[in-house]
Amino acid sequence: MRRLEVALIGAGLIARLHVEAWIGAGASVRVYSDDGRAADLAHEFGVKAVGSLDEALDGADAVDICTPTNSHHEIAMAAIAAGAGVVCEKPLAASVAEAEEIVAAAERAGVRLYPAHDVRYGPAFARLHELVAAGRLGAGAVARFAVSGYHPRPWTGHMSARSGGILTDQMLHGVDLAYWIFGDVVRVHAYYQGEIAAPAPEGTVAVGTALLTHATGALSQIVSRWTATPHPPVRIAFHVSGTGGTVRHDSEWPQEVQVTGDAAGSIGRFGYVGELPFVSEIREFAQAFSGGPEPRLGPRDALAAVRITQAAAESAWTGRAVELPVEEAGLLSHRGQPA
Amino acid sequence: MKVAVLSFAHERAATYARLLRDMPGVEVVIADPDGSPDDPARGQAVARRLGAAYAGGWDEVFAPGLQAVVVTSEIARRRELAERAAQVGAQVLCEPPLAATEADAQAMAGACADAGVRLTAASPVCFSPAFTAVREAIAAGDVIGRLTTIHGACNNPGRARPGSPPATGEAAADGALDANAAFLLDMVDAVLGGEPAEQVYAQSNGVLGAEPGVASAALVTVRYPSGVVAAIDCSWSPSASRPAAGGPTMTFIGERASAEFNSCPRLLGGFDSATAGERWEPGGADLYSVMLNEFIAAVGNGHEVGPDGAAGVRALRVIQAARKSARTSRPVDI
Repeated sequence: MRRLEVALIGAGLIARLHVEAWIGAGASVRVYSDDGRAADLAHEFGVKAVGSLDEALDGADAVDICTPTNSHHEIAMAAIAAGAGVVCEKPLAASVAEAEEIVAAAERAGVRLYPAHDVRYGPAFARLHELVAAGRLGAGAVARFAVSGYHPRPWTGHMSARSGGILTDQMLHGVDLAYWIFGDVVRVHAYYQGEIAAPAPEGTVAVGTALLTHATGALSQIVSRWTATPHPPVRIAFHVSGTGGTVRHDSEWPQEVQVTGDAAGSIGRFGYVGELPFVSEIREFAQAFSGGPEPRLGPRDALAAVRITQAAAESAWTGRAVELPVEEAGLLSHRGQPA
Repeated sequence: MKVAVLSFAHERAATYARLLRDMPGVEVVIADPDGSPDDPARGQAVARRLGAAYAGGWDEVFAPGLQAVVVTSEIARRRELAERAAQVGAQVLCEPPLAATEADAQAMAGACADAGVRLTAASPVCFSPAFTAVREAIAAGDVIGRLTTIHGACNNPGRARPGSPPATGEAAADGALDANAAFLLDMVDAVLGGEPAEQVYAQSNGVLGAEPGVASAALVTVRYPSGVVAAIDCSWSPSASRPAAGGPTMTFIGERASAEFNSCPRLLGGFDSATAGERWEPGGADLYSVMLNEFIAAVGNGHEVGPDGAAGVRALRVIQAARKSARTSRPVDI
């Protein structure tokens, strides 16, 4: 079989993780970035750097967009016009209108569109979904998600307070999980506290608090936090209940390996974490682009995450609960992907 | 590649047969001609369910073209089956302990070596990527410092737990100082690079077993010439359900820090309305699948993976000394 040709756009932190994952999945990668860093990244992984977006798109089966959110729309539309499949780092776009345009264009062109919501590939979250999908939690009632992470990083780019800050950025992970297990959301309320514009100074803290009402009546609560220090770098805990019982998880629970004792602090956490979610995710996308089964998420999920997080930002800005329309007929009326 | 699963005396045989059947390029044959007194057709039934070939006699399965076997018989039978596999040039993956005695294990290792096939102990944790990472970190010395002590536990349920049919013959002797001990000793052996044990002390009791004279709980302390001490708990668990059953887990205590390994940590918890009990969803890799994949790959490419026959012999030497120590209540020098 011919090797999958992937055009990776961007050369930052996420791009680096994705390049490695694509190579691991057997793809041939060319890198383009308008910030002058493509050559270094390509050189590090022994792949090709190209000088323009057109050159990157030429002959690519798929485009992986790892650039700041504001540029997603333009690159995705160019990729779709060139007939290439699209993988896009979350969120799919900076606004609902842009996200809808991308999804509609991909549907019209018959190209695959996969958002990189890597949290779905973490073993605990994948297993949670399996349990729910298998009916072992019965009818879903309430879910709560607590997500925290260290904030000031260059990749957050520039963001105004009105754009939602943490509500449209880190909050997306909890929103995506809630949507994955409980389905469509019809009402969103959110508060934010702390600094939400980015970039932000060292030590900045912020909290987003969202309450989602799902179409089934199930409820989700997400408390999303930027912490002042990087320890632990990321923590996610959840508790989900239904008529079949409860299920809970905390990423701080020890898994296969942990180190304790005098030296643990100085050497940090022991490095074994198993396969990174990025790696499982990109492999699933690569298989789908090569004619394999559809991955666990597609355009519908990308759009839902943008709609819900933008509604959270609107709610926090206006102080009102935001009603979300039931999905428009025609736009993704089925979960299937174009062939 | 033709691979046989030999006997269904061991509860894991059906899992191995299913995993092998799902592997591309593997043609699995199930052989269980002796059946069991309660269920003479158990192997045939599994073969039918899996759509796998069934061999009605040992002569039929040990035929030219057989490339590998998985020995899942009762312990007393393992030597004979491994030797017959070696005679036809098939690579052997054998449930630990390899045999009932060190002498039998030695004979198996010798037969396999003479035939140019590798004898591998089916200790799944030794194939775990996480365990390998810990082992390498300990060897590098920069994570925990100098290793002083190993503290391990493997608490799988025994066969003669209340409610099961009484064990007979060889199975009756199949106490805590067999499979659970072997899994742990194979892990210790891998970390210590095959260092032979120097002294063994053990105590056991039959509290959790249904039959008198069967050690259902056993604690073993092993000292190695390098000074490392391994304290292991190979007792049966009172129930097959978690969190009663579990492991192997192993803590590596060093001069600077401890590294704790758990082959089967809890990934998800909660309450299960169906059982009105605690929910317990395991995390970590599926080690049976990892082990069989590595074994089959090794058959194809000639690499050596997992504990070999010599490691299996070393484990049995410790187990035998532990049985003696438990009887005499004195440390036994090896």
